[in-house]
Amino acid sequence: MRSITLGSALLLLSMPLLAEPMAMPPSAQLCGTCHGPTGQGVEPLGPRLAGLSTEYITQQIKLFQTGQRQNVSMTPMSMVLQGDAIKPVADYFASQEVPEVTVHLRGEAAVYSDPTQELVYQGDWDRMIPACVTCHGPSGVGGGQFPRLAGQQASYIKTQLLAWQAGTRKGDVDAMMGSIANKLTADEIDALAKYFAEIK
Amino acid sequence: MNHVKSLRSALIALVGLCVPSLVIAAELPDKQAELQVKPKSEDTVYLNPREMSAIPQGAFGDKVRQGYQLFVNTQQLRGKYVGNELNCSNCHMDAGRKPNASPLWAAYMAYPAYRKKNDKVNSFQDRIQGCFTYSMNGQAPANGSEELVALSAYSYWLAMSGLMDQYQVAGEVPELSDAELLKGGKREDFALPAAVKAAMNIDELAKLPGRGFPPIDKPELAYSPERGATVYQAHCQACHGDDGQGLAIAGVYSLPPLWGPQSFNWGAGMHRVNTAANFIYENMPFGKSIQLTNQQAWDVAAYINSKDRPQDPRFKGDVEALQKQYHNHQGYYGQSVNGGAVLGSQSYPVNPDKK
Repeated sequence: MRSITLGSALLLLSMPLLAEPMAMPPSAQLCGTCHGPTGQGVEPLGPRLAGLSTEYITQQIKLFQTGQRQNVSMTPMSMVLQGDAIKPVADYFASQEVPEVTVHLRGEAAVYSDPTQELVYQGDWDRMIPACVTCHGPSGVGGGQFPRLAGQQASYIKTQLLAWQAGTRKGDVDAMMGSIANKLTADEIDALAKYFAEIK
Repeated sequence: MNHVKSLRSALIALVGLCVPSLVIAAELPDKQAELQVKPKSEDTVYLNPREMSAIPQGAFGDKVRQGYQLFVNTQQLRGKYVGNELNCSNCHMDAGRKPNASPLWAAYMAYPAYRKKNDKVNSFQDRIQGCFTYSMNGQAPANGSEELVALSAYSYWLAMSGLMDQYQVAGEVPELSDAELLKGGKREDFALPAAVKAAMNIDELAKLPGRGFPPIDKPELAYSPERGATVYQAHCQACHGDDGQGLAIAGVYSLPPLWGPQSFNWGAGMHRVNTAANFIYENMPFGKSIQLTNQQAWDVAAYINSKDRPQDPRFKGDVEALQKQYHNHQGYYGQSVNGGAVLGSQSYPVNPDKK
């Protein structure tokens, strides 16, 4: 993932991750009941998994298992998958298609009239909040350990930002995401959740 | 897109005109000499440039906005003036606005400056050219080029709007001609509002608090790449990768490569262990969620800068000679680390996309 070249990264964006959709492993069927059989998400039961990387999905399952992420459904559900059983499930959902988005690059605009877009593309450094897209990628399409925000359910993004604030979601290196989430206001959380959800 | 195309053709024409004046690698001066920076203190008040929305409409404002756009997406110059995957904003946080992250506003007011090393007065334009040659591992845009004007205009606007607000000077930032913009603000004939002139002299303006990266104390133990590797794994690799090559999403490395062919070259200021330690201590981890210790910052700076990267553009075939001439500082050029090849002897190419 890290040695990806510019060309292949662009290629990845413009087509599904794998040419042939993977067959659903039996162990992924249980996940599909809440996340949808192709991981497109079923609001409010489960967020979209399609568009997330294997690395990220694997890591989140482990965080649920160790209690660093807490959720009444996922805490027990994550226990079903142990050891080598995690990867095929993560691969399956990571291989699912997501709608193409035309990404907005930093610098395409110099001035944002919408404060939410300003936060997303420029951050608010008076509060030491970097632009969301620095880690989550242009338009929040995500990559590697950084989850895709583009097209994710607004209710889920909101719940997660609140969970970071409440300390029921952890596991980020040096509390980088937690410390950013802690600086966001309730209104900003609502607006950011809506903004990213609408990137489709 | 049309804008980019017309910009490109305008540039090609410009470069064509200016070829005789392009600096040749063999004569490159050291344009990244260290600035003397005061240590940080708690009660410092920093300049606070105006919001982007305050940039005026019109031709001058367009140059300022273009400067910002080049600064945060320097990759639009890839293959022309940029030879790696970096963007200016990777090191100059908050698009060059953040104090103690080498803010543009402070740099603008520090030039023109006399440099012992090349025995000449360097303008602000010369300094930005140095960034392209070294930090961006590319080919500096020619004197007076649209890009240098735009980057100078953006820097000037940040500096002047901050100064005007600090001293309650109302109104728009005064427009300057391209030739004036390229010079920088440290000169007797630089137009300053009376209130600013009354408050600060030229030398104070050249040393605005927050300039450069604040120097940290020497480490208790001599810095060590071996200890730095441990720091790197714990605090840096999550974003920059276990191989230091950063992370590209949609083709953009906003989490930049720290060494290797796509990072800054052996002539860039950041290859110095002290410069990198100062930068890291003040600005990393990104968003400043934790504070590394002084020792950790030195060690991890040593680790990052003990890896190979693109060659020093002043290299003429003799690593030892170059090391003696330009690398009498805290860095690993010309040295072997842990029995590896002498750094510089097998470095990656300078400006690999050169056409």
